[in-house]
Parts: sequence; C-alpha cells; structure tokens
Amino acid sequence: MKTESPIIHFNGEWLWLGNIGHSMAVVAFIAAIVSAVFYFWHEKTGLSRDLNLARRLFQLHVFSVVAMFVVLFIAIFYHRYEYYYAWRHSSNALPVYYMISCFWEGQEGSFLLWLFWNGLIGLILQRVAKNWESPVMVVIAFAQIALSSMLIGFHWGEFSLGSSPFDLLREQRPDFLEIPILGQLGVENYLQLFKDGNGLNQLLQNYWMVIHPPTLFLGFATAIVPFAYSLASLWRKNDRGWIPIALIWSLVCVGILGLGIIMGGFWAYESLSFGGYWAWDPVENASLMPWLIMASAAHMLIITKSTGRHVFTSHLLVQLSFWLVLYATFLTRSGILGDSSVHSFTDLGLSGQLLLFLLAFLALALVVVLQGKQRKWALECIPSLFLIPMAIAYGIESPENLALFNQWLKGLGTILFLGWLVFYLFVLFQRTKANLGDESILSREFWMFLGSMFLILSLVQVFAGTSIPVFNKLFGYKTAVPTAADYNRIQLWLAMPIMLLMSLGYWFKFRETELSTLKKPLFVIVLASVVITFLLGFGFGIESAKFLLFLFLGVTLVISSGLYGYKKKRFEWLRWGGNIVHIGFGVLLIGVLVSSVNKHILTASNEGIDLAPEIDSKGNQDNKGIKFNRENQLLYKGKSKQLQGYTATYIEHIQGVGNDSIDKYFKVLFLNKDESGKTLDSFVLMPKTQNNPKMGLLAEPSTRHFLHKDIFTHVGYESGMDRNEPFSNFRLDTIGFYRPFITQTGKVVMRIDSIIRSVNGDGLSIVLIVKAKRLQDSIWLRPAVLINEKTGSFNSVPAEDNRFGIMLSILNIQITDLTPNSNNIRFVIQSGEKTPVWDYIVIQVIAFPWINLVWAGTIIMVFGFILAILNRIRKQKQLTI
Amino acid sequence: MKRFHIILLCIAGIGIATVVSMYGNTTQYVVFPDAIRISQESPGKDVHVVCKLNKAKPVIYDAQINVNRLEFTAVDSLDNECTIVFTKPKPTQFEQLEKMVLIGYYEKDHFLANEILSKCPSKYVESPPKIVSQ
Repeated sequence: MKTESPIIHFNGEWLWLGNIGHSMAVVAFIAAIVSAVFYFWHEKTGLSRDLNLARRLFQLHVFSVVAMFVVLFIAIFYHRYEYYYAWRHSSNALPVYYMISCFWEGQEGSFLLWLFWNGLIGLILQRVAKNWESPVMVVIAFAQIALSSMLIGFHWGEFSLGSSPFDLLREQRPDFLEIPILGQLGVENYLQLFKDGNGLNQLLQNYWMVIHPPTLFLGFATAIVPFAYSLASLWRKNDRGWIPIALIWSLVCVGILGLGIIMGGFWAYESLSFGGYWAWDPVENASLMPWLIMASAAHMLIITKSTGRHVFTSHLLVQLSFWLVLYATFLTRSGILGDSSVHSFTDLGLSGQLLLFLLAFLALALVVVLQGKQRKWALECIPSLFLIPMAIAYGIESPENLALFNQWLKGLGTILFLGWLVFYLFVLFQRTKANLGDESILSREFWMFLGSMFLILSLVQVFAGTSIPVFNKLFGYKTAVPTAADYNRIQLWLAMPIMLLMSLGYWFKFRETELSTLKKPLFVIVLASVVITFLLGFGFGIESAKFLLFLFLGVTLVISSGLYGYKKKRFEWLRWGGNIVHIGFGVLLIGVLVSSVNKHILTASNEGIDLAPEIDSKGNQDNKGIKFNRENQLLYKGKSKQLQGYTATYIEHIQGVGNDSIDKYFKVLFLNKDESGKTLDSFVLMPKTQNNPKMGLLAEPSTRHFLHKDIFTHVGYESGMDRNEPFSNFRLDTIGFYRPFITQTGKVVMRIDSIIRSVNGDGLSIVLIVKAKRLQDSIWLRPAVLINEKTGSFNSVPAEDNRFGIMLSILNIQITDLTPNSNNIRFVIQSGEKTPVWDYIVIQVIAFPWINLVWAGTIIMVFGFILAILNRIRKQKQLTI
Repeated sequence: MKRFHIILLCIAGIGIATVVSMYGNTTQYVVFPDAIRISQESPGKDVHVVCKLNKAKPVIYDAQINVNRLEFTAVDSLDNECTIVFTKPKPTQFEQLEKMVLIGYYEKDHFLANEILSKCPSKYVESPPKIVSQ
C-alpha cells in the first residue's frame, strides 16, 4: 500500500544531479530566447553592445546544452536508475562505448544531440559569418528555442511543455512504487529494487550504431544554415551576398547527410536480416528527402552564383530542404508511421509540439518575406490563427462537440495550411523573381536546372509514398505504403536522366556555348562508354536492355566527370571536388544496379514448389509464385548440402557464455570446388540468433566479403525453436551397474557405467554416467538426483538427447544390503522415447555481386565533398581579402 | 509562353505521372472477404490484411518437410477467419505476435502470404525489476 504521508524522503537518490540538469534546461531555453532578441535588436540598431550580449548569451546557451549532455551521461555512467532515462535506456552490463548510444535510443536524448550540433554550428557561425552573423543567428537561436523547449518538461495541470530527460523513475512510473514487496522494504528504499536498468535495444549495440546516428543528426543540423542565410537575405531586402556561403554550407550538408544515410544502410546490411542495405522504409526515406532537395539546392545555388538566374528557386529549394528535415523529424518521432515502419519510435506526446515547431518556422518565414504593412498585418494575424481554435476548444465541454470540432479543425487546418503555403510561395516569388528572359539551350545553367528538376521529381515520388500514413490519418484513407518494388520501378527511370544530365552539363559553358566545342569530347565519351559498358555488362552478366542503358549512363557519368576534370584542372586536385563527387555518385549507382539486379539467392531450390500456381489460368507461367517460394534451405547438423555454387555444411552450434549466453552461433562451412575436386575457396560463416529476454528472438546475419562479391547468410529458423514432442513409451527398470537395459521399443541400449557423488551442505547430488547405444552410434547421458538430507526432498534431474530421442530419469535409489557397495545398489530408472530429431538450421544465403562499389562510391563522394568544400572556402577567402 | 514554362509543364507532367503510377499500384488494407472478391476480379493482385493469429487453431510448420510453408488461421478486424499459407520460415516469436499485416492474395481455399509485417523487432518492453528473494 502506498503510504499517505505527504513527504517521503527516498533513500539513495542523487537528486542534485537532476536539479542541475533541469536548471540547465531552463537556462538553455531562456538564454536562447534572450540571445535571439539581442541578435534581432543588433540587426535593427547595429549597436555593438547588443551583439556582444547576444554572443555571450548564445555561448551560455551552448554551455548549458553541454552541461545537460554531461549530466545525462553521468546518470547513465554511474547507473543512477532513479532517473527514468538512465533506467529505461541503459543497464549495468553496458560497455562505456555503447553508453553514448543511449542518447539516441530515446527522443529526449536525440533532441539533446540535435541541440548540441546546432549549438556547435552556431559557435562556428559566430566566428565565420562576419556581417551576416546577426540575422543568421536569429534563425539559429529561434531553432534552439524550439528545440530546447522540448527538453524542459514543465507540467501545468493538463498542459505540458516538452519532456525532460531528467525526470525521476518514480515520477514517470508511479506504479513501480506500488510493487507489493516494497511494503516490507519500505517505499523510501525503492531504489534497492532498481539495481539494474531496462537496457539498451540490442540492435543499437553495434559499432555502426555508435557513429551513424550522430552523423545523420549533424547532417540534419547543417541544413538549417542555408535556410538561415536564405531568410537573412530576404530580411536584408534580397541581398545576393548569401549565395556563395549558403553554397558551402549546402555542400557540407549534402556530404554529411549522404554519409550518414549510407552508414545506416551499411548497418542494416551488416546486422539486420532483410538481406540488403536499403528497403525504402519510411524512416530511411525521411532522411533521403532532405538530401535529394539539398543536392538540388546546391546546384541551383551554383547557377544563381554564376548567372544571377533562378534566385527564387534557390530560396525555395534551400528552405524546402530544411522543412523536409522538420517533416522527417515529425514523421519519425510522432508515432504516425505506426505499423508501416520497422523502426519502433513511440509517441512521447511531443507530436503536437513538433507540429507547432513546423508551423512556427513557416510563420517566421512568412513574416520575413513580407514587407512593410503586409508584415505588420501578418504579425497581428498569425498568433490569432493559433489562439482562436485553442480558445474555442477550451470552451467546449461535451466530448461529442469536441470530436466534431476536431474534425472540423482538421479540415480547416489543412485548407489554411495549403493556402498559407501557396500565399507564401507567391510572395516569395514576387520578391525574388528575376526577369532575365530565357536562358540559352546551349548553356550549362539550362542543363543543370533540368538535372535539379529531376532530383525534385525523385523527391516527389518518395514524398508521395512516404506521406501515405499522414494522408491516411488526415483523410481516413486505408492505403498501404508502397513496396520497395514500387519505388525501384520509378526511381530507376528518374536516376537515368539525372546521370545523363550530369554527364552532359560539364561540356556546356555558363551562358552560351559554341556547339562545335562539344563534338569532340562527347564523341570520345560516348565511344569509350559504349566499349566499357559492353565489357562491364558482359562481365557483370547484365542482359536486360534497361539495365544496360542504366549501366551505360553510369559509366558515361564516371568518364565524363573524369575527362572534364583532367581537361580543365589537370592535377590541381583541390579543384576536382565536384568531379570526384560525381565520379563517386556514378560508381555508387553502378554498384546499386549490379548488386541488386544480379543479387542471387544461393539457397533457391524447388522446396515448396506445390505452394504457388506454376501455370496461371491463361496457361502462362506465373513467375510471381516462383519468385517468392523457395529462398530458404534446411541444413542438418553435420551434413552437407549442395547450394548454387557452394557446398554448405552445418558443422555445429556454439552457445555464448556469460553475458552472451543468450547468443547462439551456427558454424557453417562453405566450400567451392572446381570439376577436378580442387578447392577454389572455402570459408566459415557464423550467423547468430539471440534469444533476447526483452525483444524476443533476433537473427544477426554473417557476411563474407570478397572484393567482387559478398556472401550473406542468416538463420531464419532452427530446430531449437520447434515445439518439443513430449516423450512417450515410458518404461521402468530397476537396474544396477554394468547391466544393459533397453527402451520400450528396444531401439536404444543403455548401461550405467559410473556414479559421481558430491556433498554440498545438507544437499547430496548423485549423477549417473550412462552409456547409450543406438545403431552404430553412442553417447553419454547424465541423469541426476538432488537429495536434501534435512527435509528429505528428492529431486530428479532427467537427461535428454534429441538426436537419440531418449529421456532418462532416476525415480528412486534402493539399497538392498546394509553394507553399501556398488553391487548392492539398484536404481529405479524411467526411460522415455520420442522420434529422434537431428538438429538443423534453416538458412538463406545470398550473393551480392560488386556490392563494394556502393561503399567505394560513397567514400569517393565524401572525399570529393571535402575537396569541394575546401576549394569553395579558399575562393571565398580570396574574394574577401 | 516561354520555353521555360513549357519545360516546367513537362516536369510537372512527369511528376504527376509518377505519383499517379505509384498510387495506382498501391494496395488497400482490406478484410478477408474483400481479399476474396479482389482475387476473383484480378487474380494474384497483392492486398494487405491487418489481422491476428487465432491461437485456438493449429499452427503448422515442420521445417523438415517444407522449410518454406507455414500454415495458420488468422482473424481480421471484423472477426472473419481465414486459413493462411505463408511461404517463408516461421517468424520468430510467431505465437506471441499481437498484430500482423499479411501481404499476398487469396487463391482457392487459402490466403497465400508472401510477407508478414509485424511490429518487429517486437516492441521493446519496459519490465518492472525482477524481484530476487533472498
């Protein structure tokens, strides 16, 4: 029972830690607000006193964020399970390097990480932004206000602001204080029950999961900088100076975000068993969307920088990319994806606040883009848009009216939102349009613009597919999310024009190009690409025309980028950045094509052939049935099976020990022999299953990496998962040493060979060593009894063997003579039988040819991005000096 | 009309075409009677069914006979029952799944599922501490 006393002093809590954390959250929030205000004043008045104050306040804000980080880490590191976050996401057995992963298992931790990156970016901007500092920092500080409000965790009755990572376990889970045993222990000593935490998700306990989320978050965080510059420029009456700097930051964002996305893919490939690195899962798509648009924006910024055209599109894309970051956050963190994603995120009640965050940024952008009277009008109207429905909702008391009101509000909200967007775009267009007439069709900007448009088309499809759960929620549809095949089918045809335009664009100059200069390089490129595509297509074994076309375009892209770089820049490597990025992109796409088109399931077989219709009603072969039917095979322990290309032998299984005792490794030997019997290659793979007490059975694949292919395998099922057939054919024998006895059916012959006795306090344990023979095979069985001399209890511990299908249990021990020696002891033994089972595993083995091209392409791209960024920074410095 | 506008119109056209093509191909969440009706109209077209396992009926899986065949009975949200044949090994913790989404089509006398989506990895549970008596 819960004690009624008003104040309980709980023992052993480090309350000071959480107090620091809570205070720091408040300081961070307030410092961000005041900093934003002073930056704003400085932009208005230009007083250096305001600027200084704003800077110090922002630094104070970052300091508080870092302090929150440290406090949370201390709570995790010292296992302070009085804090809900530490209890929920960590445990005693967690190694230090995985403690950092606790930060991104929970929402509060990942918001903290985002705050941290944003803060760091703010500090960098304070040093490098020069005269752009104040308007840009207003936007950054505005984001920090919104983000830090998520971590405050204030509750005023019904209303709550954010969710604090420093909340106490007993506040979050008051039910834990009502556990019956606490009655004896005393509620104040509840912590004695919480000596261990709930633990970190097993899937996050992976090397890649330590570095992938922070990289992705850094990518997300950098997207705000071009956005901030765009707003700053509009604020400053359309100042064009923002373009080169926003370009640098957009390259930083595309590079880091791209790396983060592929890291996630590599993690999925290495530790999930779906057999691939990209599944078009909504959460993956959510991170891809801002990348596609930021890549498009970077190109648009280059056009604007070089020609002054497309200012509107530059603004639009840079802002869209940031909004897509916010949208991605909303999708993944509001729980709206629900059943459509394998990533399990739960709703912390922050979705309303996230939506508000999104709307607040739209409002900010609208206020900035409007001028004079219009702006004043907007400033008065926007708050009332939020307030009116809130006020009405507050006044409604009956639940039916409230439901009706909510429905009405949803419809109105959607219309208002769309109207708002259209109005915003209209005003933005009016302010930034540049009437320069049509560009020449022979100009680089024309082709680059077209390429960017295709990137947007790629986004349109991903957005439409990924947003289906949102539409379902809004309009009550029941549409299922598209499958990976739906995305692949369309994205394949969008990637091709993108590659084509990338290869072509190089050879046009900005503004106008002499047509005759194109002939020679294009001729060389096409000729070389045709030859190489022919060779590669033959080598990769690609036959389908559309895939050959894709391959051709990929090869063209690589050759064109290389040739252009060599012609224009020779060995000035710093200037090669963009070309190297494009080469990497080409290699990546070729890798994606080859590894997925020629993905080969080595365990494909005829098992299960009866399941699907082989011939459909029109007499045609139904390939659909064939495709999904037979991808797994059964391997008995100790036996070999011929797969396609390899002979696989399941040698044994190895049970993990200590902390890994829930792990089961299956040792499978792969042999590839040529016709004369010479071994070409042989290797052992150890796919694993884990019987996780919290998450159920997890399968972890095992992959052998070759230069030109990967052999990937995972266990889908194993004999240990069968429901055991109960023993039957019981039989009793009263038997002494060395006498043979048999089971009911006589299939197994046994003999007691020896006895081991050991004394432990009042307990006596007796283990019989029994030899059992079945056909030519023999094993040892060890049935046992535990006898407690004081209580007289007699516990039998039976021995079982699945392969022999036998069970032995000692029911009694009889001593026939008062002088106990081995001849006078008889054991009453019960034997039971069942069908013998051989241990087996069900595995899937997949060959991914040339998957290394995917990773190599990524590394080349990252290297190229570094060069491109360094080169742009160098150019910018030369300009300003 | 400028060339620029023509290009924009073309791009918008392609955009609409991709979206229409994708939405035209999407499937609906349905119940079993609808799945049967759809299978008669267009055999082999995939549908999604949200359902749960009927634990009272047997779950048949014997890897030694056929690794790629799992048979069970499911109940959809309107309490319609249907025999399901799934063409992959039995998912882990299958009997404990609270809710699943089947992707496949109805044929003859059963629903042939080629994919089972479950909240997998099964929702990470918050368990109260284990009480160790001393």
